[in-house]
Amino acid sequence: MGQPYIGYENAEVRYTEFVYGLRNATLSIERGEFVFFVGRTGAGKSTLIKLLTREVRNTGGRVTLNGRDLTDMPDWSVPSLRREMGIVPQDYALLPRKRVWENVAYAMRAVGHSRRDVRVRVPEILEQVRIGHRADAFPHELSGGEQQRVAIGRALINNPPLLLADEPTGNLDPEHSWEIMELLKELNNKGTTILVASHDMMVVERMAKRTITMESGQILSDSQAGATNA
Amino acid sequence: MLDRIQFLLGEGFLALRRNGWMTFAAITTVAVALFMIGSLAYAYSLAKGQTNNMTGLFEIRASVQDGTSQAEISAIAKQLRAVPGVKSALWIPRDKAWAKYLADNPKHKEFAEVGNPYPDMFKIVLNDLKKSKAVVATVKKTKGIKPDEVKYMSDLARLIVGLQGIVSWLGFVFGGMLFITAGILIYNAIRLTVISRRLEIRIMQLVGASFLTVRIPFYIEGFVQGALGGAISVHLLYAAQTVINRRVPQLITNMELPSFPWGLFFATLPLLGAVYGLVCSLIAVRAPLRYR
Repeated sequence: MGQPYIGYENAEVRYTEFVYGLRNATLSIERGEFVFFVGRTGAGKSTLIKLLTREVRNTGGRVTLNGRDLTDMPDWSVPSLRREMGIVPQDYALLPRKRVWENVAYAMRAVGHSRRDVRVRVPEILEQVRIGHRADAFPHELSGGEQQRVAIGRALINNPPLLLADEPTGNLDPEHSWEIMELLKELNNKGTTILVASHDMMVVERMAKRTITMESGQILSDSQAGATNA
Repeated sequence: MLDRIQFLLGEGFLALRRNGWMTFAAITTVAVALFMIGSLAYAYSLAKGQTNNMTGLFEIRASVQDGTSQAEISAIAKQLRAVPGVKSALWIPRDKAWAKYLADNPKHKEFAEVGNPYPDMFKIVLNDLKKSKAVVATVKKTKGIKPDEVKYMSDLARLIVGLQGIVSWLGFVFGGMLFITAGILIYNAIRLTVISRRLEIRIMQLVGASFLTVRIPFYIEGFVQGALGGAISVHLLYAAQTVINRRVPQLITNMELPSFPWGLFFATLPLLGAVYGLVCSLIAVRAPLRYR
């Protein structure tokens, strides 16, 4: 059997002698999967995601992505690692004084895309996340769901094969939450591996995807609740 | 490439605009610090130039004992020239000195009847005022020299050397203190910019912008602050020197102001400021811009 796309082998994150963020987490995720990490606040679901983005470094065990061991990865490799994934933060992290298209353009310029690239790609990305009609709006003029679409759009600028979302529906009402999940499902259908940390059980159950339940930094259950790539 | 430079410069100048007052404070402090250092350097060179023109300060007159032979005089001259701090030792026979005096002071012809009061002596010229005390002591001990008749304007020389020392010490201490203050202000200005731009930094780090892309705007900020401070200081110095050049000859006649290497100053002060600003920014962003 080949190496999994994402692998956690007895991964451990220890903050102090008695405080753990994660304990003996062993898990494999294949390319193209849609996986939910669920659990209460502090259960360790965000830590699983942060280990992949290298916002957190594991203190024990092993974490691999696409065959690359992230445990001993030097700091200077982190930017290139991040360009291989899209990250959607819980708070959207949109620049308030920039319009929707400028928010996406700014991120593209930061990773080295030319202005010509930006002119071509930004409208495409905004259409992909169905926010093209609000391209000239400022973030404060958008609903929570629309802001989350912009954040997802920005995460797509590097055409990532992996999208990580930390509580993407945490601040949204059920209707907007479902819209965001539909969008993520669409991206997953196009082949993007999606990992979502969420405590919104209603949405998770309705999505019927692989769900990993966490508690006190440990994996409680890993259920294949529906088809892997619906 | 041009596109990239444009983006980084844009971010750098945005960083400068974000904390206008802090940036202003940093630039003016760098300017004042470099102005202080530059003006003290100018004052030092002025004082040194003036003392170099005051020939008496560099001269020691040493009388030779009566009955010293020509061979002994040659030996003494050789000995005196070998003393550290001595530029030259010139033998002046008493007849020559007297004839020169009478030629220079034709109104004092009646003195000729009194007789030649000059002794045979050496005119010793110093090349370093700081060594004058040691030279005088050595000359007094030299065989064939009358120790009681070694004449030197020692008090004035000591005063001038002391003043030169104070000027350079003041420049070093106050200029240094201001320079450190300027560095702290640049550091703080950049730290404040990091705080005010934390969202942009976070976004850059989320999407995988390179370390340099995240940091270069802040380096530009420090570089520009230092360079502007340096440029302002050199212009202030030039303006101050122009005023001095106009006023001093009106107040003190026969005083020639020494030329000052302005070309060097115009090139080095902004460069010095820029390098200093860059170093401050390198230190300021080291910890807060670590990838998270």
